[in-house]
Amino acid sequence: MAKMREAEPVVEIGEMTAAVSRERVQKLSRDRRRVIGFNSLSLLLFVLLWEGSSRLLHSVFFPGPLVVSRTFVVLLVEGDIQGYTLPYHAYVSLYRVLLGFGAACLTAIPLGIILGLWRPVYFGTRVVSEPLRFIPPLAWIPMAILFFSGLGRYVFLIWVGVFFPLFILTMNGVSTASPTFVDVARVLGASRSFIALRIIIPNALPQIVGAMRAVMSPAWMCIVAAEMVAAELVGLGQLINNYATLLRMDIVIVGMISIGILGLLLNEAFMAVERTLFRYRQEVKV
Amino acid sequence: MLEYRNVHKSFDAGAGPLPVIKDFTMTIREGEFIVLLGPSGCGKSTLLRITAGLEPTSMGEVLIGGRPPDLRRRHRLGFVFQEPALMPWRDLVSNVTLGLEIRGVPKAERERQAGELLGLLGLKGFERYYPHQVSGGMKHRVAIARAYIVDPIILLMDEPFVALDAQTRESLQRDLQDLWQRRKKTVIFVTHNLEEAILIGTRIVVLSSRPATVLLDCKVELPMPRDPVSREFVALRQELRGLLV
Ligand SMILES: Nc1ncnc2c1ncn2[C@@H]1O[C@H](COP(=O)(O)OP(=O)(O)OP(=O)(O)O)[C@@H](O)[C@H]1O
Ligand SMILES: [Mg+2]
Repeated sequence: MAKMREAEPVVEIGEMTAAVSRERVQKLSRDRRRVIGFNSLSLLLFVLLWEGSSRLLHSVFFPGPLVVSRTFVVLLVEGDIQGYTLPYHAYVSLYRVLLGFGAACLTAIPLGIILGLWRPVYFGTRVVSEPLRFIPPLAWIPMAILFFSGLGRYVFLIWVGVFFPLFILTMNGVSTASPTFVDVARVLGASRSFIALRIIIPNALPQIVGAMRAVMSPAWMCIVAAEMVAAELVGLGQLINNYATLLRMDIVIVGMISIGILGLLLNEAFMAVERTLFRYRQEVKV
Repeated sequence: MLEYRNVHKSFDAGAGPLPVIKDFTMTIREGEFIVLLGPSGCGKSTLLRITAGLEPTSMGEVLIGGRPPDLRRRHRLGFVFQEPALMPWRDLVSNVTLGLEIRGVPKAERERQAGELLGLLGLKGFERYYPHQVSGGMKHRVAIARAYIVDPIILLMDEPFVALDAQTRESLQRDLQDLWQRRKKTVIFVTHNLEEAILIGTRIVVLSSRPATVLLDCKVELPMPRDPVSREFVALRQELRGLLV
């Protein structure tokens, strides 16, 4: 160790930067290994706890991980009683979620930006927007059943659940622009549209994308609720609901886990996008 | 010409009005290099903001060439704010070129000028760095480049050199001197450093503590470059110190 220290000062600049980047790569892979290690450990712990408690409870309504994974494989390969496989159920739900989510993004983000730039309008309409915001998406189900059918109904319910949180988070992101940024631009003669497009929106972008990631979870909540009340055969919510009535808790749990895993994957995808898009932000602590 | 006529400013920050500037009257001719001194919190930054048109006066008026400041008219104004306020999503070059972008200067030309200025300010090689990757003093230098690049007629600088080491500070003082002598800009420069004030100013204005009134307004006739150990220099510094403590 001491010898290496002594040798350092004679290292060439090129070698030094190479050493720095090598060191960084090593640190990154070390960190990554550690994260993967800890996650494997917590997964293992979770599975053990589950297995243990299911044995302790000893009930057909609480199958352990072994039974559930067997069901999982069966659903994956052979499908359920009607012959729909798990990936198909997942695909159908995911498709609905993404459509509703897309509709919410297309409406809530522009509106959030506009009202964030123009707060008086928001404050002037709060008497309407606030009560609407507090109606739980599930309360919209009767309306959705009456006025929509099929895909439209799902999209509507997801939209209802996602629109308000996304709108509010976007608006708050827009109005947190540092006043000095705006002053800098104003002194240089920037127009209002320049300030909006080149200062305020780029400043809010990390918060907006973060909000999109955050609302994925209410989006899943809505799709499962919506599928449970509909009289269709496919979708993860439908799978859960249909087999709950048959008391097939193993299938119910497979449905639950599938939703969780899809949520995890979507979240990771969003985080990857955020990491590449917003490199300029100091690294978020893992 | 830059004129302040009986400018009053008070803020309303909850517990009643807070008078910050009281009856400030002053005429600044083109090409003067004003150094503004005064205790912390006395209203120096506020005065600069009023000059730029970022803040209205409570009473009285500011006239730039006979007209009140109007941000929409794009007076060629350079403002170096007290904090660097670099936009984190822009690299150093794009932070510097902001003013040219606003004026619609083509990209290649913008980048050429920014590269030149960054080189002058000792930031060569850091053009594509992002603000979070450079030091505090480097950020301040970028903020200075951002103000210089529009070739301002009036340059407002709010403690621009505080975060710098003595050497960089001296070199930037020299550059500012050069710029001012070559282009005859009007400069208002806020600092807490008495040496710096006497080294670069042609006129020193000392403000009282809040609400700010003018304690001293004197021309500095010493020839440039100034010698910090000359008798006149030392005498003036003593006088300023006496006023400020
Ligand atoms: N927007 C504002 N609202 C309320 N009070 C303000 C506002 N801006 C400044 N002030 C007050 O005005 C006074 C002068 O502030 P200013 O920033 O001009 O001081 P300064 O002379 O630049 O001080 P420093 O040397 O510490 O930078 C302070 O007491 C401050 O609290
Ligand atoms: Mg200040």
